[in-house]
Amino acid sequence: MQVIKYDICGQICPSTLLTALKEINNYSQQLMDGEITLVFYTDNRDAVTTIPESAANMGYTVNVTKMEKCYMLEISGGRK
Amino acid sequence: MDNPYAFIFVLCLVLGLLSGIIMHRSDFCIAGMFRDLFLLKRTVMLRMLLLLVAVSMLLFELLRLYGIALYPFPPTGSPSPAAVIGGLFFGIGMVLAGGCVAGTLYKMGAGSFLSFISFVGIIAGSLFYAEIHPWWTAFVKRTTIFQGRVTIPQIIGIDPGFPVIVLMAIASCLFFRWYKEAKWERPSVASGYIQPWKAAIFLAFIGLISYMAVGKPMGVTTGYTKLGAYLEYFLFKGHLEGTAFFKAKSLDYVHPLTSIRMQGGAGPGFDVISAIEFPLIIGIIFGSALSSFLLKEFRLCFRVPYRQYISSFAGGFLMGIAARLSQGCNVAHLLGGLPLLTGQSILFLVGLFPGAWLGSRIFVNFVMSQGGQRSCR
Repeated sequence: MQVIKYDICGQICPSTLLTALKEINNYSQQLMDGEITLVFYTDNRDAVTTIPESAANMGYTVNVTKMEKCYMLEISGGRK
Repeated sequence: MDNPYAFIFVLCLVLGLLSGIIMHRSDFCIAGMFRDLFLLKRTVMLRMLLLLVAVSMLLFELLRLYGIALYPFPPTGSPSPAAVIGGLFFGIGMVLAGGCVAGTLYKMGAGSFLSFISFVGIIAGSLFYAEIHPWWTAFVKRTTIFQGRVTIPQIIGIDPGFPVIVLMAIASCLFFRWYKEAKWERPSVASGYIQPWKAAIFLAFIGLISYMAVGKPMGVTTGYTKLGAYLEYFLFKGHLEGTAFFKAKSLDYVHPLTSIRMQGGAGPGFDVISAIEFPLIIGIIFGSALSSFLLKEFRLCFRVPYRQYISSFAGGFLMGIAARLSQGCNVAHLLGGLPLLTGQSILFLVGLFPGAWLGSRIFVNFVMSQGGQRSCR
């Protein structure tokens, strides 16, 4: 499985969420087919709430891991 | 009380620290509440603001009924369309900056370098306003309506309790409906997250304490202007001394707890503005910094797309001007004036909505069009 990583730390609100949504839409077919995982690194606490919320509403699986000074959000799994 | 200034300073520092911690933990971003309505059609956080305004309205009305607070609080003036114009520019500014005047402080405290740029922008905008102040004051004087009457109840000549009862009844129905629909809890995996509805109630009580003990609810933008005035004093002393705005005493009231007359303005020098707003600014920054250190989330990150720097500064600059155009920032208007139904704050809100919409359009078309990511890790 291919993994694409995005470092969107330090960015202004709401570019963190908008960047994530744009990339999820760009790779929607591959995500649906379970060929790809998108990984976002963010230090924006609001995005830690809004990105999983939006991705889950779109039917994707979201895993959140707290790392040193940032959060790792993994979007994968294909549509339910 | 021998020294009300020391009392006010220490109290505001504590209130600022608490606000900083609460805002950071709940991400209580007022700019985001308005922006997300237009950008994402999301109203979840706007509900929290409505709760904060409603609880504040009830608490402030109790203060008025018991006669333990000034009604209306200083330095609110009679309504003028100037507040709509200020609200419009403020709306654009807060969206571009990614945070309002308080959001900028708590985000800066948590290590956001872009928020520091907005902070500098707000100070620069305030100083710019000082240059156009005489012209703007003349405009405000010409366009002020209902001279001498500040709140809607004063304007229409009814008891202030009446609209509060009606609005509380409507709000209670709405809040109960949202409770039944489970719309208050916001699921989040962020560490140490405080539910925004709890933050809204906390912040309403912080506003209440400020109103009772200081004489007015919270506000921070004259503090920003004063910081700029100190800077201008050291760099261009002659120019500052010739600027009318810095000589004016925008705050002049009798402190309710001590009956001592207190005055303050945007010019350099320690006065009641310094005693109220400097500790609030410092408190919010350090409260948020403390919260993020405790969560091990504090970090500085500079490598972001350059347009975000431009957006942060421009947004801050616009907020700095707009807060003075409308004689108060969003904190003063939405968390202070609106619960009291002042004409000025309602007009500010009227301008804030289209401003936030316009700001969202500019953000998407100018800032987001750059795209890209730059590694900070």
